[in-house]
Amino acid sequence: MPGFFQEHLRPLAGSAGLHLLMVAVLAAAALRWTSSQPPAEPAIEGYVVDLPPDARIGAPPRSAAPAPRPKPAEPAPAPAPEVTEPEAAPEPEPEPTRDEAAERRAEEQAAREAAAAERRVQEKAAAQKAAAEKAAADKEVAAKAAAEADRKRAAAAEAKRKADAEAKAAQEAELRAQREAALQRSLADEEEGVALARSGVMDEYRTLLAQAIERSWIRPPSARAGLECTMYVTQAPGGTVLDVRLGACNGDEAVRESITNAVFRASPLPPPRDQRLFERRLEIVFRPTE
Amino acid sequence: MSSRSRDAASSLAGRIVVGLALWFAAATGHAQLRVDVTQGVRDAVPIAIVPFGGQAEGTATDVATVVANDLRMSGRFAPLERGDLVARPTSGGEIRFEDWRLLRSDFIVVGRVLPDAPGLAVQYELYNVRTGQSLLSERLPTTERGLRATAHQVADRVFERLTGVRGAFSTRIAYVTVDGRPPSQRFRLVVADADGHAPRTVLESREPIMSPAWSPDGRSLAYVSFEGRSSAIYVQQLTTGERRRVSARAGINGAPAWSPDGRRLALTLSRDGNLDVYTLDLATQVLTRVTTDDAIDTEPEWARDGGSLYFTSDRAGSAQVYRTALDGARRAERVTFTNSYNARPRVSPDGKELAVVTLDRGGYRIGIMDLASRNLRVLTDGRQDESPSYAPNGALLIFGTRDGGRGTLAIASSDGQFRQQLSAERGDVREPAWSPFATR
Repeated sequence: MPGFFQEHLRPLAGSAGLHLLMVAVLAAAALRWTSSQPPAEPAIEGYVVDLPPDARIGAPPRSAAPAPRPKPAEPAPAPAPEVTEPEAAPEPEPEPTRDEAAERRAEEQAAREAAAAERRVQEKAAAQKAAAEKAAADKEVAAKAAAEADRKRAAAAEAKRKADAEAKAAQEAELRAQREAALQRSLADEEEGVALARSGVMDEYRTLLAQAIERSWIRPPSARAGLECTMYVTQAPGGTVLDVRLGACNGDEAVRESITNAVFRASPLPPPRDQRLFERRLEIVFRPTE
Repeated sequence: MSSRSRDAASSLAGRIVVGLALWFAAATGHAQLRVDVTQGVRDAVPIAIVPFGGQAEGTATDVATVVANDLRMSGRFAPLERGDLVARPTSGGEIRFEDWRLLRSDFIVVGRVLPDAPGLAVQYELYNVRTGQSLLSERLPTTERGLRATAHQVADRVFERLTGVRGAFSTRIAYVTVDGRPPSQRFRLVVADADGHAPRTVLESREPIMSPAWSPDGRSLAYVSFEGRSSAIYVQQLTTGERRRVSARAGINGAPAWSPDGRRLALTLSRDGNLDVYTLDLATQVLTRVTTDDAIDTEPEWARDGGSLYFTSDRAGSAQVYRTALDGARRAERVTFTNSYNARPRVSPDGKELAVVTLDRGGYRIGIMDLASRNLRVLTDGRQDESPSYAPNGALLIFGTRDGGRGTLAIASSDGQFRQQLSAERGDVREPAWSPFATR
């Protein structure tokens, strides 16, 4: 058995490697697919209306204040020592005096005086009460007015908010529609682009670009087989070269100068047969065969 | 399955997955269109050389003109005509790059000649017109007389910065001219700037002068002169004019070639009956025979490592190039096979190619053979092209050609894309030899 594995190690490793490679390719393709999508945006942008807590339907009940931990039972208070109060004896009523007339007069006088006093007190209380009632009424009117004003303000604000929300929602809806349309278009374009690429139009574009630059590349003697230089080029939609940036390059100064100028000399670069295949950014690899 | 191999397998798989993940991360990171460029063109690079400030129009040595002519001669640059220049900036700050972009010029050289006690200075700048980037900015001290040499220096720097190859415009060429008809002919050995300017006769004779060869330090020339009615090989110092006869043996003394270290000459002698290749130690005068074949063996050329010689031999019936090691067995191996005639080998500065005169479709032309693949490509289309000689940077070759029955000199780029005839002097011009670099 070990002999078998040793003997077949290579093919086994190879097959394992191939499987892993396929997995990696698929994973990378998936990565590539996702990364080629437009930047992630929320599918639907909801307009969040902040409702009072109790109006939330299905909202979980406000979590009650945490139940107080049961306190450890306190030791029962020690029984107070019992004290017996001695009962107080009632005071004897005083005896009435015996001067009847004087007493009556005095009583009448007192009654009159008391009635007057009573009247005065009542009058005062009535006045006070009236004043208080009036103040209360005033206060109520003011409060009512204030409440009314508040209500009106709130209603106005609510109306405005509603209007805003509606406008915004409409706008969002329109944007969403536009985005969807654009996405549809780009998907369609992409599909067609893929089809175009498959049909060789992309290769044709690549060849057009290569030929244009090859015609412009005055090769210095030091540009021999084995040379490999990468040039990152940005072009405007008309093909005008906007910017060149030299990447990895094993050539000498003369080579670097020559390839920089080759790209500029080729400007404007040729357009693709189908404008959808236009690429703003190009990676030009100079790799001369002898 | 041992646990070690299982671990190895799973770690390999793990690495593959991680590698793939990274690769995809990189691939999806930037949505770009990737374009592979595998070809280029061999057009001349458009460049503007603006007249230098501090120099009046029509001045004796116009620095910008010298630089422009040098760059044009290399075949790699197409300097704008002076009439097309839209402005005359003399420093970087004065350049309006958009103007020069409209002229589709890739680069621009501006500068000025300044008084700089006790002499002059040349201040120049090189810019990339497309990016506006400064690539060179330098101040070279000089004199009125040295202005032309300084201009060649500027051309050298610009050439090197833009091609990656050292410029060879400050070098010289040697060649032989012949005036008149026998018996009253005049032979001259001439040294001039690489652009043909400032020719200077270093030897004049009524008898033939042949086969000039530069010493590796560029200070001396070895050549064959028949001034004593028979051939002899001389070595002449160029600065002092002092010369020494190094070989005047019976029969033919010909085709001197310096060893890379400058201590020996390879040469052809007929003293043992037929033409054979020898080496001569210049200090000790020790002569060593290299070839012993009965055929004609001549035109030796040293391999770059100094360990072997290339030479022409007709041992197989027609002229072909052979190579022989200088140590041990000295068995010669044949190097050229493509055409029925290949002669006068010259090794390229990088040692990878051999320039030869080859018989191609009825004409004697300059060919270059790749030593590794043995492929031969023909550079020229003359009928009697002769004496190829590499510029020390290997980018150009100078050779002799015929123009209307007269010998003249021409230059070709070693990739065969460019050819130009040098403005001919009077008379017949032949056997050019390109100097090495002056020691930096």
